[in-house]
Amino acid sequence: MAQQSKKSKSRLWFLIHSWLALPIWFFVLIVCVTGTLAVVSQEIVWLANPDVRASKPDDAAERLSFQQVLDALKKAEPDMAVRFISQPDGSHFALNVAVTYPDGTAPTLYVNPYTGAIQGKSPDFNFEGFTRALHGWWLVPFTNGYSWGWYLVSLLGLPMLASLVTGLVVYKKFWKGFFKPVLRFNHGARIFWGDFHRLSGIWSIWFIAVISITGTWFLIQAILGDNHITISTEPITPVIAREDVPLSDSREPVARIDLDQATLIATTNIPGLDVTFAQLPSNAYGHIYLGGRGWYPLMFQTASVNPYTRNVDASFLVGDRSALEFVTESMRPLHTGDFGGLAIKLIWAFFGLVLSMMVLSGLLIWTKRTAQATAAALKRADKPPRQRKVSQETTTEVQS
Amino acid sequence: MSHASNAIATPSPLKQWWLKWRFHLNILLLLVPLGFMPKYFADQKLFRGESGLGATPIENIAVGPWSISLAELRAEAPRQDGPAGYFKVFNAALCATCGSEVKAAYLRIGKPRSLRAAGTIFFGNPHRMATSLPVPERTRGDAELWITLEGWDGSMHQASVPLAKASPATLAWLDKQGGKK
Repeated sequence: MAQQSKKSKSRLWFLIHSWLALPIWFFVLIVCVTGTLAVVSQEIVWLANPDVRASKPDDAAERLSFQQVLDALKKAEPDMAVRFISQPDGSHFALNVAVTYPDGTAPTLYVNPYTGAIQGKSPDFNFEGFTRALHGWWLVPFTNGYSWGWYLVSLLGLPMLASLVTGLVVYKKFWKGFFKPVLRFNHGARIFWGDFHRLSGIWSIWFIAVISITGTWFLIQAILGDNHITISTEPITPVIAREDVPLSDSREPVARIDLDQATLIATTNIPGLDVTFAQLPSNAYGHIYLGGRGWYPLMFQTASVNPYTRNVDASFLVGDRSALEFVTESMRPLHTGDFGGLAIKLIWAFFGLVLSMMVLSGLLIWTKRTAQATAAALKRADKPPRQRKVSQETTTEVQS
Repeated sequence: MSHASNAIATPSPLKQWWLKWRFHLNILLLLVPLGFMPKYFADQKLFRGESGLGATPIENIAVGPWSISLAELRAEAPRQDGPAGYFKVFNAALCATCGSEVKAAYLRIGKPRSLRAAGTIFFGNPHRMATSLPVPERTRGDAELWITLEGWDGSMHQASVPLAKASPATLAWLDKQGGKK
């Protein structure tokens, strides 16, 4: 009796597993595929567009400082205003410089880090932005708080987590699959896809857990955000006080320190601060905002340098984070895989592809098997329920 | 109805409908990004400044020795930001020659009494800057939008435009608010 009950219980788990993503399988598949593309979107653009590559003019060439780059840009385009400059993760990428032209257009320029030459500007179709928007919020615009597309996508974290758990429950002694991998090619499509689904499933346990948990975090983040609940301990830097900004003797602006001076001040005051991006003051009362990855690569450290007093008015370092923020702030980089250079991205992209294939193989198995299994289970439901012993803790929750 | 428990033999109409149409959920879900795609690309263009300064632009408003162009980011009612109230984003661009002389630009509903109360400061650069203007629900329909420009030499100049001209959508929204109360 107990044996049979256990069997029917695991069949129920199996059905739950089978039905989790099914009616929306194509949506789930597209979210997985676009997520995979988004992970390596920067690299895809690097391959497709020579403008974003940091080509070295000769072996002896050295990288320019941010201020040297600004000077070169000023020379090339005297009327252009620079808003932001950053070195993407990886020295093979050209600098990204957000600028505004006198006509009000505001593209990102790709600038050679060795020569300061403008190699090109961001095309009308931003592949990175598009894949991320499609994956992240299904292109639904943000009009009031988080877009409902964001909820739609991040909600998938829950069935994905449930798929992982139920999948492991129904795959008896799944750990044996690590030592004796089975992938049968000669027993027909159903057997092959079943083996494939199980094999890629067990090797992706960690990845599915990471993606579904961090995906669920995005859901929580939106709920918190839309209810105006913040857990951030990052200080809100007030604008520079009026009395700290000197009056000019002429009509021309008061001199402000340049980016290299600001970088020097920040890195002297904050040992270990790595500066890979700089935001220029956004008005006369604004700071120079600098930062880069911290020793804990999943987090950025930033500093706001007062361009008049030369003080570091505010900073936010890895050590300033609360324990809760340490967890929550790690969620996004863990989801996107952009915290350890190309190698991590490729691992994420590979498993993203495997996950996409799991959705597809799951569907293929379902079409061949689950339809019949469901019909059979429904038939059994007509019979009077059996008594059963609670033999496994995993099966206790199903009883209703 | 004695066979009602046998779901296989006589599925309910609802269940039949679900079984027949469940996979069409995918199509519905796919229509969402397809439908929003034009809006997405229009927004991208707007953020890149390729659709001009914004909606309902007012060109070259003289402010003392300088001039400024003003436009609402979108032709729509103010958006609520939780308990902070309603806000309306305006863009501005300074005249080509005055960019270096103007230290800061401010926007306010109603005439500021001093530079310290000049309103919300614009962020950006002389070619394109933006500010998020609080719009109280009780704002009068004939309210004026005051622009304050502060020079690096300490000088201050002001000008105003009717809110109704700068943002007809805000006026319509205010009318509706008034109707509710």
